[in-house]
Order: sequence, then C-alpha cells, then structure tokens
Amino acid sequence: MNTDRLLGAAAIAVATIMLAFGYGLQAPFAYEPVGPRAFPLIAAAMIALCGIILVVKPGEPNETVTAGPGRAIAALSGSLLGYALLFQPLGFVIATTIFMIPIAMIFGAKWWQGGMAGIVLAVSSYALFDRVLEVVLPVGPFGGII
Amino acid sequence: MDTLNYLMHGFGIALAPENLLLASLGAIIGTMVGVLPGLGPINAVAMLVPVVFALGLPPEGSLILMAAIYIGSEYGGRISAILLNVPGEASAVMTALEGYPLARQGKAGIALSLSAWTSFVGSAIATIGIVLAAPLLARWALAFGPVEYVALMIFAFACLTGLLTDKPVKALLAIMIGLAISTIGIDANSGVYRYTFGSPNLVDGVQFATVVIGLFAISELLIMLDTMHSGASIRVENLGRQLFNRAEMRFTNVATLRGSLIGFFVGILPGAGGTVASALAYTTEKRLVEKSDPEGSRFGKGDMRGLASVEAANNSASNSNFIPMLTLGIPSSGTTAIMLGVLTLYNITPGPALFRSQPDLVWGLIASLFVGNIILLAINIPLVGLFARMLSVPAWVLVPFIVVVSTIGVYSGKSTTFDLVLMVALGVGAYFLRSAGVPMAPLILGLVLGKILEQSLRRALSLSAGDIAILWSSPISITLWAMAAAVLLVPLLLPTFRGWRHKAIVESE
Repeated sequence: MNTDRLLGAAAIAVATIMLAFGYGLQAPFAYEPVGPRAFPLIAAAMIALCGIILVVKPGEPNETVTAGPGRAIAALSGSLLGYALLFQPLGFVIATTIFMIPIAMIFGAKWWQGGMAGIVLAVSSYALFDRVLEVVLPVGPFGGII
Repeated sequence: MDTLNYLMHGFGIALAPENLLLASLGAIIGTMVGVLPGLGPINAVAMLVPVVFALGLPPEGSLILMAAIYIGSEYGGRISAILLNVPGEASAVMTALEGYPLARQGKAGIALSLSAWTSFVGSAIATIGIVLAAPLLARWALAFGPVEYVALMIFAFACLTGLLTDKPVKALLAIMIGLAISTIGIDANSGVYRYTFGSPNLVDGVQFATVVIGLFAISELLIMLDTMHSGASIRVENLGRQLFNRAEMRFTNVATLRGSLIGFFVGILPGAGGTVASALAYTTEKRLVEKSDPEGSRFGKGDMRGLASVEAANNSASNSNFIPMLTLGIPSSGTTAIMLGVLTLYNITPGPALFRSQPDLVWGLIASLFVGNIILLAINIPLVGLFARMLSVPAWVLVPFIVVVSTIGVYSGKSTTFDLVLMVALGVGAYFLRSAGVPMAPLILGLVLGKILEQSLRRALSLSAGDIAILWSSPISITLWAMAAAVLLVPLLLPTFRGWRHKAIVESE
C-alpha cells in the first residue's frame, strides 16, 4: 500500500475519533456564540479533508526517507518505552545504566561500551541535575541513588 | 531616536555578565549541534526548554541562550557540509554544493573562513534590519484586534503550506494536527474538558516540553537509524590556507550582499526560513553570474560566490525570523515557534504589545543577536578544526546522551511516568509522520498558535454575535486574506517558482 494512502487513512481515523469525542463538548452555560466545540471540530474536518485528498490523490510512492531497518526501529522504540516505564520504579541511576546498554548497542557500540556510556551518563547527570541544578530525579528502590 | 535609546538599553542587558556567558555558551552549543548531523537547532532548543526552567533563568536569559544556539547552528551547519558534503542541518544543503568542491580542491580552510565571514555579514545586515523594521511593524500591529489576528494566522498558515514544501496537503495536515493537540485540556472560556479521556494528566493540556522533545529529539533518533548506514568516512585533514585574502573577499562582496538581502526578506515570511532562503539565493546568484560572466562561472564546481551568497542568506534569514516572532507573535520557523512557546510558559503573551510591555526582553534579545554573532565569528574562524573534530563523536555516545537529557527534561516538568510514555509515543508517531513526508515545523507552529487562534476567533465572533462576516470587515484583515490567497495561488501559476522550491529541501528546520 502506498505510504500516502496509509497516511490519509490514518488521518481519517484520527478525525473520526476527534469527531466522536468532540461532538458532545458543550458548555453548560454559554456566554458566547462559539462554544468549546467548534474549533476541535473544524480541526477534525480539516484533518479528514487532508486524509481524503491523500487517499484519493496519493503522491509518488518513493519518499525521501525510506522505511528504515525495521528491527532496529522496533528495538529502539521498545528500549525507549521500557526506559520511560521503569524510570520511576527503578530510579534514575539504575534505569539509565540498564537501558543505555541496548540503546548504545543499536547505534553500533559493543556491550561493554554501552555499559560504560550508561554508568558514566547515569552518575554524572544525576550529580549535575539532582545535586547541582536541583531537578529532583527518582531515587532507586534502595532509597539512595541506587 | 527612541530606537537608539532602547538599543543601548538592550546592549546593557546583553552585555551583563550572566547574559554574555549565556550567549557564549549558546554560540558554542549552537555551533556544535550545527556540526553534528542528526542534532539540529530545533532539537537542541527543544531539549533546552525544561533545562532553562530548571536553571531558573529569567525569560530574557532563556531567550538569549536559545537565540544564540539557533544562529550558532547556522554557522555550524556549514562545517560538515563543506568538509564532508554532509549538511549538518537542512539549510546547509546548498552550502555543500559549492563548499565541498572547494574543499576537494584543497581550499577547505578558505571556504570555511570565507563562509564564516559571509555568515557574519548576513547576520549583521539582518540584525540591523530588525532594529529598523521591528519597532515600526510592532507599532503598526498594535492596532490589531482579534479579527486581524485571525486573518494574520491564516496568512501564516497559508505561507507554511504554500512556501515550505512540495506537498501542501501534508503541511496543512501537520498544522491541523498541531491545532488539534492545542485543544487538549480544559477550555479556558467554558471550563469544559476536551479530549482528556478522563486522565488527570491531560487536564491542563499536554506539556509543551513533552511535545517538542517527543516530536523533535526522540523522532530524530529513529531517523538517525535510517541514515546512519550511509555514514561518511570522517577524516578531516589538510584544510589548506586558513584565511581568505582580500581579492577573494572583493570577488564575493556583491554575492554576499545579495544573499543577505534575499535572506532577510525571505526570513520575515512565516514558514520560510534558512532552507528556502539559501535555495533562492543560490539559484539567483547562479543565474546572475551565468548571465553576466559565463566564462568565469564555476557554479557546481566550487564557486566562492555561490558559497558566499548561500551562507549570507541562511544566516540572514535565521536572524530576520525574529521579526515576525517579536512583533506579531507569529513565529516563522520551528525553532522560533519553540522560543515563542517558552515565552508563554513564562506567562508572557507574545504579540505587538511585547515591545511596550517587555522592552528588556525584546531589546536585550536584539542586542544579544549582535553580540552572539560577534562571538560566533570569533570562535568560528580560529576553532574550526576543533568543531570539525566533533564529527568523530560516535553515535553510541551521542544518542544515550540525547535520550537522558530529553528524559530528565520531560520528567522535570510534572514528574510523571505518563509524560515520559507520551514523549516516546509522540516520538514514534512523529517518526512515522516524517517518514511519510509530513513536515514537523508546521505542526509545532499549529500547536503554538492554536490557542491564540481559537481565542481570537471566539472573541471576534463574540463581538459580532456570531456573524462570521466580521472576519473580513477591516482593511487590514482583507489585505491579509488577499495575501494568504496569493501565497497559495502563486505557486500553482508559476512553474519557475515551483522549480526553485523543488530544490529546497522538504525536510523542515
């Protein structure tokens, strides 16, 4: 299937969801002629319009950015998601050390290089952000920085 | 002589030690991110959004830092373009056309110093232009009411769809997605919850930092996977003679001046930043030279005039980008859109009143553009070898660094796992959109302008009790509607215009 068609179909789906959840938006007391509903619905209609144009008249199939190595994309997305989910439960230093290993390896590092990058980054950015800049980062399950 | 007084006042702010430090830091970071492929100014500025809050910087400090990064990246982008034929960021594509052949002829040092100089000239001319034009435009725009604002934003969106890309539908789609995201959260006028899906995390909307970091920094990492395998061998050796001589300067002076002027005017238009400016300057210069001096033209094989005009143009454009942002509250590139978003986070309403209500901010920023450019010239000529060496930082060091800084940044806002997951989801979503050719800059503009557009629209229609004819009731608004229509129609009518636009890279800044 053509990328543009797929994009168009996705746009129409998004517009439908926006319409479904946006149609009921009404203010209990209206002070103004245009309520909270109009703008989201206009945006939804325009998104649907773009989607229809893309489905009916898709452009050339070859794009500037080709669909890349699928496995690497999936691996990176998965690692990022894991990092996001376990950032709080594991604490900053542990989560960073663990998850930077696969991420560095996806970008061509050996496992020990990834481990080094993870530990150095984890400890130095904890010191910088948590201690110096006072951005509170999640502490580990042992109550300290780990 | 009001302007001069204000400018002097601005220099007082820009030259204060902490702001001077921020401008220098920004210049260095900016050059670095410009050099590194895969880390453009927009990603760097996006990642900085939460950091400036963590640092507790005042608004003018934040803006000075971000502006220095933005203009610095235009200097940095040329380094990898000239040395390796790898543009560090989108607007450096044209730089590579003439710069790389020059480097192959052993004139890399000359190309680098000459382009640093013309970058500086372009920036300086644009900054003078800001000083002259911005206060006038701001005074004129003070008369704008909600009606004019709606028309102005429609004009900005028309520019984005008409000028920026080959695919107007995709740009329009991007704008609308941005507008849609801006509607998430509690509606200020009625108290109605919109698209929160019952989640308390969405009640006050999606955090700005989460969106920009997801859309730019995270999606860029996935894009890097696509492009990584085409990596150039990084060996920077013989730079040749370091500094250009007087004959070369005289040879390129006219081209530099032309490029600066083209860049300045293109940069004012919403949506058309350095990428369009450099493409337009290059094609103009090439045509003029080939007409007047067909024997001497070495375009495509390393013509210094081409290099000079391109670098002058994209730097000029990135400086004049600040005019619509400061005077009208309409950013004209993705990066200035983020800066505008930052201002709103400080509870500063962008728009023509900014010149009156925030003179420190506005004039401090303008003066810091002068200061920043001088710093950039000073560090870019002697230290070019050092920056070039940045190219050998392996991706496996860079990527974890970006991930950690991005994550900390998003987390620092509300400290929720929800925001972190949303950041990743937006990043993956943006990757697919970008793979399908949807530009991201219009999306961020839509997001930043969405709330103001909706409020203006509702206020205008309240004034007329619902009659939409009020939207084209004043001369200014009619003019803006006509300009919007012209911007959309001209590309359809002029095939030559399509030609140069085609050359401009679709990828947004």
